[in-house]
Amino acid sequence: MTTTVDPTLAAELEEYRTLCRSWLTEVRIPDVPLSLTERFRVLREWQGVLFDAGWIGIAWSREAGGQGLSHLHQLVFSEELARARAPQPIGLIGLDVVGPSIDRFGTVRQRTELLPRLLSGEDIWCQGFSEPDAGSDLSSLRTHAEIDGDDFVVSGQKVWTSWAHLASWCAMLVRTNAQAPKSRGISYLLVDMSSPGIVTRPLTQMTGDQEFCEVFLDRVRVPRENLVGELDGGWAIARHTLGTERAAYTLRRRVEYEVALQDAINELSACPTRDADPRRAYRVRSAVGRSHVSLRVLEAQTRKTIGRLAADTGPVPEDSVDKLLLNDIEQQVYGSIADLLGPLRVAPSGRPLGLDAARWAHDHLYSRAASIYGGTSQIQRNIIAERLLGLPRD
Amino acid sequence: MTDTLVTEVEQTVDAYLARSYGAERRLTLAECHGWDRAFLDEIDDLGWFALAVPESADGVGLPLSAVGAATMSLGRHLVPGPMVERLLLPALLLRHIDGSGPPRHDLPGAVVALVDPAANGTWSVDDDGVRVESGGLVGSMLPVRFGQEADQLLTVAESAGELAVYLLPPQTPGLDIEPVASADPTARLARVTFTEPAGAGITPVLTGSAAGRFVTELRAWARILAACELSGIATRLVEDTSAFVQVREQFGRPIGSFQAVKHTLADMYALARSLRNLCDAALEDAVSSSAEDLPMLAAVTKAYAAEAAVGVCESAIQMHGGAGFTTETDLHLYYKRALALRGWYGDHEELAHRIGDALLAGAGLAEPGDVS
Ligand SMILES: Cc1cc2nc3c(=O)[nH]c(=O)nc-3n(C[C@H](O)[C@H](O)[C@H](O)COP(=O)(O)OP(=O)(O)OC[C@H]3O[C@@H](n4cnc5c(N)ncnc54)[C@H](O)[C@@H]3O)c2cc1C
Repeated sequence: MTTTVDPTLAAELEEYRTLCRSWLTEVRIPDVPLSLTERFRVLREWQGVLFDAGWIGIAWSREAGGQGLSHLHQLVFSEELARARAPQPIGLIGLDVVGPSIDRFGTVRQRTELLPRLLSGEDIWCQGFSEPDAGSDLSSLRTHAEIDGDDFVVSGQKVWTSWAHLASWCAMLVRTNAQAPKSRGISYLLVDMSSPGIVTRPLTQMTGDQEFCEVFLDRVRVPRENLVGELDGGWAIARHTLGTERAAYTLRRRVEYEVALQDAINELSACPTRDADPRRAYRVRSAVGRSHVSLRVLEAQTRKTIGRLAADTGPVPEDSVDKLLLNDIEQQVYGSIADLLGPLRVAPSGRPLGLDAARWAHDHLYSRAASIYGGTSQIQRNIIAERLLGLPRD
Repeated sequence: MTDTLVTEVEQTVDAYLARSYGAERRLTLAECHGWDRAFLDEIDDLGWFALAVPESADGVGLPLSAVGAATMSLGRHLVPGPMVERLLLPALLLRHIDGSGPPRHDLPGAVVALVDPAANGTWSVDDDGVRVESGGLVGSMLPVRFGQEADQLLTVAESAGELAVYLLPPQTPGLDIEPVASADPTARLARVTFTEPAGAGITPVLTGSAAGRFVTELRAWARILAACELSGIATRLVEDTSAFVQVREQFGRPIGSFQAVKHTLADMYALARSLRNLCDAALEDAVSSSAEDLPMLAAVTKAYAAEAAVGVCESAIQMHGGAGFTTETDLHLYYKRALALRGWYGDHEELAHRIGDALLAGAGLAEPGDVS
């Protein structure tokens, strides 16, 4: 990030990095349990620890309970967190995805009451956008809300909602005007997950985790003051949310892949039998070499992303190129390392070539989601073709 | 700083080429595989060949990254000729050779052919390197770009477990330069043979660790420039193909409205864009890279370029349909050049292996047949 930021800021960031690093060597970094409910509890506590020490909401305004620093400071901390092999806090959907939109478009009251609790991990948030019949075509969502006195009354169904069963709040898109064109009749509501009429049903992912849910809403009353922005004006906010998600996510994940590949290299190079079979040695070298190239490509790519963050451009179509590369690279890296497990990938206790079979098999499966969530790779390609290359719409 | 410089050089070169160099000239130059004195003089007059030549040798004194910037534009316009041979090699040699007499003062403006058997990896069976024996050179290399046309041959030879760098005039006794057919539209090729110790008594211009340092930089910059040229090629073909699919119609509408076509273009764009970003990053970092880090940086850049740019070319051909397979468009020229560059100093597969090896061993990047 040398050329994209000015020297004074660069020096400040280096100082900040030292600060992060030394704090991370002093604090007790939690082990992440395999069981999801245990994991949730531990990582939520961890968020509290990070919050108390001032490492949460780094780029958020002070008014919203944040640190009032730049996105680059946030990036530095994320990098150091990953390098220290420390887990992310549990509330990332709040922190990276919906929180920034509430901060930007919410009322003073919404910001002052909700955001500090979101940051500390006291409140965990989920994002209720997708529906059974509205995934890629989000604007055709059907969950609807009618105004009744001081409340909205919400009915419908959401799906793939990460952490919905454990969250206390949901940033939800609902249809408030059935007559208006699809994207013009949608509102952005903040829904208390303990409201009567909400039922969540966890779905099991191919990794075995139950991280996301179906959410059923039956005449759920949501106070009118929980509307973010204008009535029927939720689409612009949703786009902001999705855009913010892409940039923050790309930068954070990149560092995580770096650390993962380094772990793989450490495991492989400590294994004395690695080179015993020339064919296998060939595959190992190729997997490591290709993955390293991929990660350097991503690093070069994110220099431009960082430049955009520093210039505060907000979401732009160029983010879709990042997302597309990110998807491919995550799958390339985890896929090729997991391939080295050979037949032992089905025996999680095995350590073929020194690799931790359970971890790599899990992470490989998880990588298949990369090209689905946050806008599928096909949707990113549509955006690139239409908005960056100017090709005609269908 | 480097960033703005790179942009400026690239824009200047690009603007000139956009003005004075079109498809017709490209074709004419490709027909003679880029050997055209008048064209070289024209480029010389523009001062491009002097960009990275040190001021002490009457050059402009820009860092080598300026050559990378120019090369991106040369790639975009597919400019044939001894470009690396004249843009890079004299400038690089001048940074490493001391003194004021020959060979230093013969270098500015010279076409320097590169005889570094490592450029071919270990692919050639007959032409397996150049060695110092009985005070002269033995061995051969195929192909050498512009071997027959060059003013000097920069030869990397193995000498008792070390490297030695020679600068030989083409008339050197025992040096045999034989032209061979070229499938690279931008370069003439030759087979260079050193027989019965060629150039006996000629002293190398660099030996020992100085030669080692030079060769490391040479190979790194050769890879970075190949990547820059490939990046230019990829960028150009995305632009051209994107324009084409908006005018070409089938089934009553522009083919660019079909999703299969759109997605291919989006992938091409992502490849070209990320390659460009990688080259920018490499040019930015190379200048301040240590001798240990530079080879890795260059290998990574070239590995990605080799795969990404050829991928873009192949999609461009596909998206042009039957016309894409003919010589009626320039696509085949771009493709053939990209294929030539892909193999030079290692393609994505070879380099990935070397990169993987280095990472697993926790060591620097080794060349195949490295003698050190
Ligand atoms: C791990 C994970 C976590 C998630 N978390 C959340 C969450 O917290 N909150 C939330 O709201 N959502 C969440 N999602 C949902 C995610 O955003 C959607 O899955 C995604 O937008 C795709 O929608 P879909 O599943 O309905 O697939 P569909 O839209 O039905 O797509 C199916 C296939 O068709 C393709 N396709 C669809 N439309 C087009 C088109 N126009 N052109 C070309 N191809 C097309 C898609 O690319 C895909 O390959 C999560 C998903 C995953 C996997």
